[in-house]
This record gives sequence, C-alpha cells and structure tokens, in this order.
Amino acid sequence: MSVEAIARKDFRDAVRSRWLLGLAVLFVSITTAFMLIGAQFLSGSEAQTFSTSAVLGFMNGGFTTGLVPLIALVVAHRAVVGERESGSLKLLLSLPHSRVDVVTGKVLGRTAAVGVPLFVGFLLPALVAALGPLQFAPLDYLGYLLLMVVLAAVYVAIAVGCSAITSSGTAAVAAAIGVYFLFTVVLGGINNALPFVLGLGGGPSWLPVTIGELQTLLQVLNPTGAFKIVSREFLAGTLLAPPSVEQQFQQVTEAAAVLMLGVWLVAPPLAGLARFERADL
Amino acid sequence: MYWFRFRVPHTVDTADDRRPTPPWRVGAQNRNTLPNHLTESAGTTGMTAISLSGVTKRYGDIVAVRDLDLRVESGEIYGFLGPNGAGKSTTINMLLDFVRPTTGSVEVLSMDAQREPTAVRRRIGVLPEGYDVYDRLTGRQHLEFAVESKTADADPDVLLDRVGLAGAGGRKAGDYSKGMRQRLVLAMALVGDPDLLILDEPSTGLDPEGAKEMREIVQREADRGAAVFFSSHVLGQVETVCDRVGIMRDGELVAEDSIEGLREAVGTGERLIVTVDAAGEGDLTEVRELDGVESAEVDGDTVTVDCDAEAKTAVVAALGEAGVEVEDFTTEDTSLEDLFLHYAGEESDVTAPTTEVGQ
Repeated sequence: MSVEAIARKDFRDAVRSRWLLGLAVLFVSITTAFMLIGAQFLSGSEAQTFSTSAVLGFMNGGFTTGLVPLIALVVAHRAVVGERESGSLKLLLSLPHSRVDVVTGKVLGRTAAVGVPLFVGFLLPALVAALGPLQFAPLDYLGYLLLMVVLAAVYVAIAVGCSAITSSGTAAVAAAIGVYFLFTVVLGGINNALPFVLGLGGGPSWLPVTIGELQTLLQVLNPTGAFKIVSREFLAGTLLAPPSVEQQFQQVTEAAAVLMLGVWLVAPPLAGLARFERADL
Repeated sequence: MYWFRFRVPHTVDTADDRRPTPPWRVGAQNRNTLPNHLTESAGTTGMTAISLSGVTKRYGDIVAVRDLDLRVESGEIYGFLGPNGAGKSTTINMLLDFVRPTTGSVEVLSMDAQREPTAVRRRIGVLPEGYDVYDRLTGRQHLEFAVESKTADADPDVLLDRVGLAGAGGRKAGDYSKGMRQRLVLAMALVGDPDLLILDEPSTGLDPEGAKEMREIVQREADRGAAVFFSSHVLGQVETVCDRVGIMRDGELVAEDSIEGLREAVGTGERLIVTVDAAGEGDLTEVRELDGVESAEVDGDTVTVDCDAEAKTAVVAALGEAGVEVEDFTTEDTSLEDLFLHYAGEESDVTAPTTEVGQ
C-alpha cells in the first residue's frame, strides 16, 4: 500500500518531466529505424521474409544493452539522494512510510518511468514491422520487451541502491557513471582480453577451469552479460530448453544468468537500504 | 532584572513518570493551571503526546542536544523556542526518526519513535523544517498523496480551503510561493485529524496575516483535542496560542513554563520609549527614583524606561519637571521578549517582536 503510493507518486512526478516524452520519441525513432533498415537489409540479402525477432537480435547488441542501462541509470541515480538533498524526502518520511517503502517504491516507480516509454516506443515500430516485409512474431516481440524492462529494472535497482547509500548527489552521479563503464565497457573488455593475457588455448595449468568457462562466468556475473545470454537464448527460442547431455553446461549458464539478474535486482537496493536505514537525514 | 533562572539538571533522568517534580522545573508546577480545553478533554488524557528522557545527540564532537527531558501532554499546545542552531530542529527530527539519538529515549504518543516510526507517523501531522515540495505535482496531487499514504478519508479541496489555497489546487507546487508551499505542507499535516501536530518553524515564509491564520488553525486543532508541538525562534508567534513554552539554548532546555508563569515571574514591566527634544543623564535622576521604575537610559533624543505600567504617567511628568520636552512616547510589552532573548543568548535589540527575522 505504502510502496504502491510512493511508486505511483514517483511515476506521476517523473511522467511530467520532459525526459519521459523525449525517451519515448527516442525509442520510437531508434526502433523504427532498426525495423526499416533490418527489413531492407535482411529481405535484400536473402529472398525470404524474416521475423521481427531477427531484428531484435540485431538490436540486442548495441541499442538494448548499451542504451537501456544508460537511460535507467540516468533516470534513477538521483531517486533517493535527490529527494534527500532537496528536502522533499522529509515530506515523504513525514507521512507513514518506512525507509524500506521509500527504496522499494523508488525502484518500482522509476522502472515504470523507463518501462512505459519503452513499451510506447516499441508499439509503433511493431506496426511498421507487421505491415512491412517483416514477419511479425508478437509473442517474441512482447517477451523481448518484457526482458528489456527487466534489464531496465536491474539498472534502476543498482542506481537506486547507490542513491540510497550516498548523501551527496555528486557521489551518486559518479557511482552511476562508474557502474555503466564497469558493466558495459570494462568487464566486457577484460573478458575479450582474457585469452591474450592468460595465453590462447586451454589457459595456464593452475587455472581449474578453461578460459571459455572463465569468460562465461565473468559474463554471467555482469548484469549486462547475463541479460545478453538470457535474451539471445530467448530470441532463439532455446531459453532453458531441456538439455541434451552436451548442452548441460549451456543450460546451467542460462539458469545462472537468470538467477544473476534476480540477484542484481534485489541486492543493490538491500545494500543501499542497510546504509539508508541507519542514516541521519 | 533576571532574578530567576531555570536550570535543567545535567544528570540523566530515569524514565519514571511519577517521580516528584523537581523544584527547578517551574513548568511542571504549572500543569495544574492548564487552560480549559485541556482539562475539558480529560477523557483523552493520561496519554503523553511527547516524552523525551535523557536525550543526547552528538554529531562527532558537536553536541546538538544535551540530556534533554521534555514532556508534552495530550491536547497541549507547546511552543518550542530558541535561536537557530539551539537544537530545536534536531529534537524534532528525533521525534520523526529522521535522526537517531545518541543516548536517551524518545516516545511519541506512547510509542518508541525509533522502533515504530511508521505507526507514529500514521497518527501525527508534520510540517518539517527544510523540506521541499514536488515541483511537478500540483497542490491537489500532494494532498491526494498524503491522503492515500495515511489511508485517510479527507477531501483535498476542503483542506486546501482551510489553509487558504482554495483555487490553487490545480497549479503545480513548483510555481507556488514560499508561503503557499508552507500552507500546502500544513494542509498535508492536517490530513486524517492527527492526535499530534509537529510544526517546525511553521510561520517561515508567511506574512503576518498568514502567520495569524496559521495560529488560528493551530488553535482549532487543539480545540479538537490534538496536541501541538511547534518551534519558533520568535516568541511573538507562539505566546498567543501556547499553553506552555520551552526555551532551548545550546542544546539544552534552559526554561520551561506557561506564558502566564513567565509573565508572572518577570513582573508586569513595560518599556516606555520617550522621544524628547534633548536629555542628559542628569535629567533621569528623578525618574530613576520613582516607585516602580526599574531602569532608565538615555540615548540622544530617546529615553528608554523599564517600569511598571502604573508608573508611566509619573515618568513622563518627572521628565517634564526636569525641563525635558516630551515630544512623543510609546510603550512596549517587551519583557517576555527580553526574557526570551536573555535565555536565547541574543543581545540584539528586537523592537518588533512579531517580525520574522528570517532563516
């Protein structure tokens, strides 16, 4: 009840900012562009119709995993500390809300603030896709949209967690930038560099796992990496498919990736709360 | 002229409510002279609105509040006075669980403020200090949020009307003036008929008319049976409505009494300010010897005399006899303000007690 009230208030507040309209426009244009280009490119290269899922898979690399986390971080990094700095948090906490309610409500409200423009932004392109040469796969399309909202929620959760830990808006900005570079640039870079650092092939003998397994582990631990695994398998229609013997590792990886997304969704707000609960405002 | 001082003991008190009243707690002795509306609502008494016992708050080396004991009975209007930085807001923030005491216990409506903060806030209304409104939400949306949060059944428009914001509910709160924001947050505090109102510097940003309306609302809430605890750094804003006042200085409660008690303790002194053509020290000899005159000072063409109300005519007459031409005179009932300034540790001359000094 209390969480819901805060989430709704937060969404109402965010929805009136021009940010959200801008986001929706951005999503519409980018997705439409991808659909049009994808339709041209794919139908041109091979003489058959392609599913929208193929386009989504194409978008998965740059747009989704690059832009969605960035937007989520931008929208949510001041969620708690911004209210703390301005003083509106005192208004919020003068009402019968606990600090747990505040952090939870913020995660939900800001997720909605990114999720709604995402949905709006993908509806129009879906029409374009359905009427155009692409074969529209509605369930995959909707499922992928929901996955994107999960990705947004994960980064909102990380941002809100950071926002609850710190008492300075500047620190929250720094944390958001740090999180973005760590997960989209640094960890990916380390992953790519691993074979060169540890030596190509099976890797050094002291390493109990192969380099490939180490890379997978690193990817699973990284929320963006985990999302890439989950979304790729989802679009391919093999997410958590019953394993044959040789696919067992693959299935464990997928399950771990799903689990890690859940961990990233819950752990940062909890860590933020641990600090926020004890803080003098 | 300040022949009495209330001291709050520096020892840690136990939370035993039935301990005998220490002689230095003048305020406690005045409880049997509480105004009518308090004794009338005796059916709901027996519950304490606020009870602080042995509360200390340290920020590193700085002690913001030192060993504070304070009780506010249900239905009582308590004025919490002191200059900025005396520890008033820290105390209020501890009542609201914004800030946790280093030692001591804080109870609001007989609930522990740290253990049950949401239960406490469900039954109180708050106008906090240093708040900000949600710029993009309208006034009405703020109230809807408060009503929803308190699961109350209140009409936002009725509340807007009560605080003088009728017609402004559809506007974004970001476009409100400071005074309008203050009214809006007061309206949010009134949602759900709280048992206790905690108002931190409620007159900030209000013009004299607005401050008067605020006092009327406070009075009406008290008549309904709510306790009101409000802070101010200006005595003039609280003396007309408060049953009791407490004065904070450097984190300690240095005085606590009813307004009547304070008035009695200080005497019925008035300050007479006489504008004259010219006067010297010698002209004041006669005046100083008059009955009921406490002190007399001259500064150029102004003679300032602290005296009993009955002595005023004699003072003016004595000045005339000394050959001083009296051009004009005004009186100020500033003894309470003097008392406050004395305890608050300010030496500055405040001539208009009801004027907001500003934050």
